[in-house]
Amino acid sequence: MATTAAPAPIGTHAGASYGHGEPTGIWSWLTTVDHKRIGTLYLWTALTFFLVGGIEALIMRMQLMGPNGQLVSAEVFNQLFTMHGTTMVFLAIMPLSAAFFNYLIPLQIGARDVAFPRLNAFSYWVYLFGGIFMTVPIFFSAAPNAGWFGYAPLTTMQFSGGLNIDFWVIGLQILGISSLAAAFNFITTIINMRAPGMTLMRMPIFTWMSFVVQFLLILAFPAITVALVFLLFDRFFGTQFYELAAGADPLLWQHLFWVFGHPEVYILILPAFGLASEILPTFSKKPLFGYNVMVYSGIMIGFLGFGVWAHHMFAVGMGATADTIFAMATLLIGIPTGVKIFNWIATMWGGQLRFVTAMKFAVAMVALFTIGGISGVMHASPPTDLQQTDTYFIVAHFHYVLFGGSIMGIMGGIYFYFPKMTGRYLSEKLGSLHFWFFFIGMNVTFFPMHYSGMLGMPRRIYTYDAGQGWDQFNWWSTIGTILMFVGAIFFIINFFKSRKAGAIAPNDAWGAGTLEWSIPSPPPDYNFAQLPVVTSRYPLWDLKHPEMTADIAHSAPDEMTITDSHAVPMHEETEYKTAKELGIPMPFPTIKPLFAALFLVVMFSGLIFIHVGMFALAMTITIGGAALFVGTLYGWLTSPLE
Amino acid sequence: MKRTPRRRLASALVVAAAGLTLAACGQEYPNSTFLHNSEINTDIIALWDRILFMGTLVFIVVEALLIFTIFRFRAKPGAPMPKQVHGNHTLEIVWTLIPVLILIPIAVPTVKTIFKTQAPAVSDALQVEVYGHQWWWEFRYPEYGVTTANELYLPAGRTVNFTLRTVDVIHSFWAPGLAGKRDLISNKTNHMWYTPDAKLVESAFNGFCTEYCGESHANMRFRVFTTTPENFESWAAHQNGPAALSPGAMAAQAAADSATVRAVSRASVVPAPAPAPAPTMNAGYVFPADKLPAHTVPKTPIPARITFDDNLLAQGDASRGHDLMTNLANLGKAPCMTCHVIRGEMALITDAQATGPSLTHFGSRHTFGGGLFPTNASNLARWVKNAQIMKPGTTMNTFGIGEYSPLMKGNVTAGLSDAEIADIVAYLLSLK
Amino acid sequence: MATAVAHASDGHAGDSGHGEHAHYTTTGLEHRKIAIWAFIGSECMLFASLISTYLIYKGRSKVGPMPHEFSCKVSNVVASTADGVAALGCAAADVMKPILDIPVTSQSTFVLLMSSLAMVLALEGVENHGKPGYDRWFKGSKFWLAMTALMGAAFLGYQAYEFTAFVHEGLTIKTNLFGSSFFTLTGFHGAHVSAGVLWLLTLLAIDMKRGLKGKNDVLVVDICALYWHFVDVVWIAIFTLIYLIQ
Repeated sequence: MATTAAPAPIGTHAGASYGHGEPTGIWSWLTTVDHKRIGTLYLWTALTFFLVGGIEALIMRMQLMGPNGQLVSAEVFNQLFTMHGTTMVFLAIMPLSAAFFNYLIPLQIGARDVAFPRLNAFSYWVYLFGGIFMTVPIFFSAAPNAGWFGYAPLTTMQFSGGLNIDFWVIGLQILGISSLAAAFNFITTIINMRAPGMTLMRMPIFTWMSFVVQFLLILAFPAITVALVFLLFDRFFGTQFYELAAGADPLLWQHLFWVFGHPEVYILILPAFGLASEILPTFSKKPLFGYNVMVYSGIMIGFLGFGVWAHHMFAVGMGATADTIFAMATLLIGIPTGVKIFNWIATMWGGQLRFVTAMKFAVAMVALFTIGGISGVMHASPPTDLQQTDTYFIVAHFHYVLFGGSIMGIMGGIYFYFPKMTGRYLSEKLGSLHFWFFFIGMNVTFFPMHYSGMLGMPRRIYTYDAGQGWDQFNWWSTIGTILMFVGAIFFIINFFKSRKAGAIAPNDAWGAGTLEWSIPSPPPDYNFAQLPVVTSRYPLWDLKHPEMTADIAHSAPDEMTITDSHAVPMHEETEYKTAKELGIPMPFPTIKPLFAALFLVVMFSGLIFIHVGMFALAMTITIGGAALFVGTLYGWLTSPLE
Repeated sequence: MKRTPRRRLASALVVAAAGLTLAACGQEYPNSTFLHNSEINTDIIALWDRILFMGTLVFIVVEALLIFTIFRFRAKPGAPMPKQVHGNHTLEIVWTLIPVLILIPIAVPTVKTIFKTQAPAVSDALQVEVYGHQWWWEFRYPEYGVTTANELYLPAGRTVNFTLRTVDVIHSFWAPGLAGKRDLISNKTNHMWYTPDAKLVESAFNGFCTEYCGESHANMRFRVFTTTPENFESWAAHQNGPAALSPGAMAAQAAADSATVRAVSRASVVPAPAPAPAPTMNAGYVFPADKLPAHTVPKTPIPARITFDDNLLAQGDASRGHDLMTNLANLGKAPCMTCHVIRGEMALITDAQATGPSLTHFGSRHTFGGGLFPTNASNLARWVKNAQIMKPGTTMNTFGIGEYSPLMKGNVTAGLSDAEIADIVAYLLSLK
Repeated sequence: MATAVAHASDGHAGDSGHGEHAHYTTTGLEHRKIAIWAFIGSECMLFASLISTYLIYKGRSKVGPMPHEFSCKVSNVVASTADGVAALGCAAADVMKPILDIPVTSQSTFVLLMSSLAMVLALEGVENHGKPGYDRWFKGSKFWLAMTALMGAAFLGYQAYEFTAFVHEGLTIKTNLFGSSFFTLTGFHGAHVSAGVLWLLTLLAIDMKRGLKGKNDVLVVDICALYWHFVDVVWIAIFTLIYLIQ
């Protein structure tokens, strides 16, 4: 083992161990443009929001534990389920994926940073401020209360006069900016910053799935942006897009929302697929089975994801023909998804499986996502969907996909990459407890919901009457939620303890085959002292276990035209030198992205004051925010990067 | 109907995979979606059985493979490096085809069922118009001239064609025991039909709103009563008639009423028709209260905040209540008729303008408040006193004098005393 | 190191300050070039959503004015009630005057189309900076950048005129579904044109100050040109779908 060369990472404040002579104060975090630090910030923030969303869920489950629950009022419950959905989708799972995009993509493709480091910082700060903007109102019982899907006309001024929806529509608009900016950045990074020899079909599957996700983001988000612009204009400037009296069609919102909303599902799940595809081969000591098919099926899923949105609308009465078309398109998605599941199993088949926590989560993801996939087919069929949609059966289905799939995959990713991020392993003992409480808790929570749904329990109800045949299922669901909460506590303890006291991790913490494991843990700010020249899909196995990659196609380094003088044949980096010593130009830290993000959020939030009757103040804040934003942007664009 | 071996296998798997589902057919799961109560639901269940069979098959195969792999290939100390396999084209083609083979037998009956269930309803179907309101249901029978709320009567064995509309936000109409749901979309008219099975001559079902529609979405419930065609005709004929106050009280009121109406008719008030003829003592069919299944009797807790001396209810006088509600002079403290219609009484608004349920035959309904409470004097008194507390967000205002009204954000000053409420309750309950 | 807006980028690469050790990129293209294509892809979806909305709402308005010639037959009125016809302000036999003025908008469309040509010539001017023949004023980038910006501004002038005329005829963003979707769609496009004009003027200012030349400047103008052509193409779609097709 190459541990000898790795000095113990220096535990510092501010939440990470950066032991390579880089500054570590709070200022260094506010001004950072390092993709790894930004990834770390995403991780911390998203986990915090995950906890907030979890607490919201716990309160809801407490209310629904028995019939006619009295814990919270209807209004509070409606805010809770709205914010639970919004938080988990936009503030927890997407940013958790973004944490991995940030941290891993440059490392996996052999780059020193992302294409636009300052834009990357900007994306994070917009997300943080936007998230705070959306979340704070819940402490004043003024949180959004029309569901994460915000169907018009319920969200119009006529039916929701309060500020609640204003926070939602403005908050989502802000978060959309963050996601779009990040997506442009990662698309450019992946297309243009791959190390010599890292062809598209040699990219690690996580990077591939992330690549697909970025395209889904840039193509899906404009639809919801437009839907939200209409709602914003309706609410603030008197347009008629969703005004019933003007003859508006409420289905306009539904179509625009789900044109975004269904690709969004794949935005949430594909990164977790990618993480599982990194974890399973590593702990099977085998390469991924059918790499090409995994890539193509990921692209197929993303592509088909744009053609199925109306399967969320089978109950609106689109007519038999439209129902048929969307049902068939939806069934088609079952094919690439099924292929992925078989390929994962084939990856493990015949391997030497090591069940560390990361592996447990990844295997659980395969097992649980399968259940979510099967129940998905059940409501891909419109006639059966009419007995299922908007019931707890759907709640069960998408929690198997999003908790069983996304969260289990992401948790696996955290256990897998924590050693790379901090130089220390998470505790396996606590990790195992975390896993089993999550795994059992999640099944105890969500499996009974299949029954409560098929036995007639609608979704989004703050209370239900006694004697409806739902009591026992709801009781179990609440118990399961408590179990998951216990699991979350084990995770929090593990996370904080292991940061300081976990076992030291070497470069290659698990014996994986991709580039990120060839550099020190945690990586120096420049990532690669010398850019590796890649000749196959598993460059590190090429180096350490050539027998593992002997039968896949390689290119010899001299077959490639290497234009970069920094590039050298594949090697494992053990040296610690500063960027300066190595003569690597690094982007300057800058506070400007933070301020640009802050002013952008200020600009949007000024609108709120229109609805409390302070028009002049609203205009002052909005125009002032806009001016400051543009000014900061000008300062940002005219200052050199490095 | 002959059951093929494969179907029997399907049924066996259904039992194995979802043992509880079978129990769902019993009374223990009264809102089950697996009840063969209409031809539509029978079709849906047939499709569900097929998908569940396929799904269960996939589930067993995949999870068994996974579990086998986990145990069989667990790392053994000192084991050699596993054979490195990067893929296998034949295998991958095979398991691309497997989902195709599984999906085809789902897709074909799906398309058939879509076109069957969405075909136009038969021409002699009973027409029912469903209107969604925040948060209650209005049912109109245009062929019978009946308008009622929250309780839907259907003749067993006859196809019902629902015309679904909403007066405000989107709702969704769902009686899980009978068939699937259909949304009520603003500025759009939807349709759905099904035929309650002819065996359902005295059955009651719960219905729900299943599209989130605001604060009291959970409190937007309804009941479906199926009965014989004869009983249905009796019910409809009676519901078509005007409000029925007891003849004695009617006579006492008549003089006062006509004077009032004349006085206000200049103020563009729709003049009331002549007082209704004395109701036939043989009232129309109503689903017998003692036959109501337990799950259709609401058990919604009554907030303790609303106090009402139930002894007052015995002194409630229907004709005084009638005067309070239908005399313009009392409009200030009991503006009931600005939102509700009582056919045969002073009409300030038309049926279409009514924002509250029609009260014409209120006393014949088993529940009120969006199916939230059983209709009885005690519940009703508290409802009139402070409905805001009983159903969050309702537009039914607080009328009990001195009560806090969340809607008005203040205490009610010009309202009703408890004794007056008792009178109104007596009148409402007399509207059989 | 140059600090002008010209290297208004966030990219590692293409920074003239680093001279010979320009960063390696996989495709050999600049980061910014790839990013602008991704951005344009996203913008396509934005305008597709806006245009779809306009088309979905076409003919759903309950009150006038209407975009095209409109016969006041009851069957044409969504509400199909006497009320609906009355609200439109016409008797059943009338034919309502169309509000969209195709001849005037054809002129502005032509101006915007020509601006794309000017943009091409401006880029050519920057690419050939200092080459023989390109020192003449009508071949240089300054002239053509100015022309492009001017034509963009002219287009905005036409739009301002059109909007004002509509308001005088009683159509605002609040009037009906047509007004809301029309002003939002064309307003979004106008905002894009405005941003483009500002961008062009910034480039022009740099050109006046120090001259646009060299690889990085070509890239910067190229990116602006891509954006400008995109905005132009979107207008062609809007003009065809909203103005020409009735």
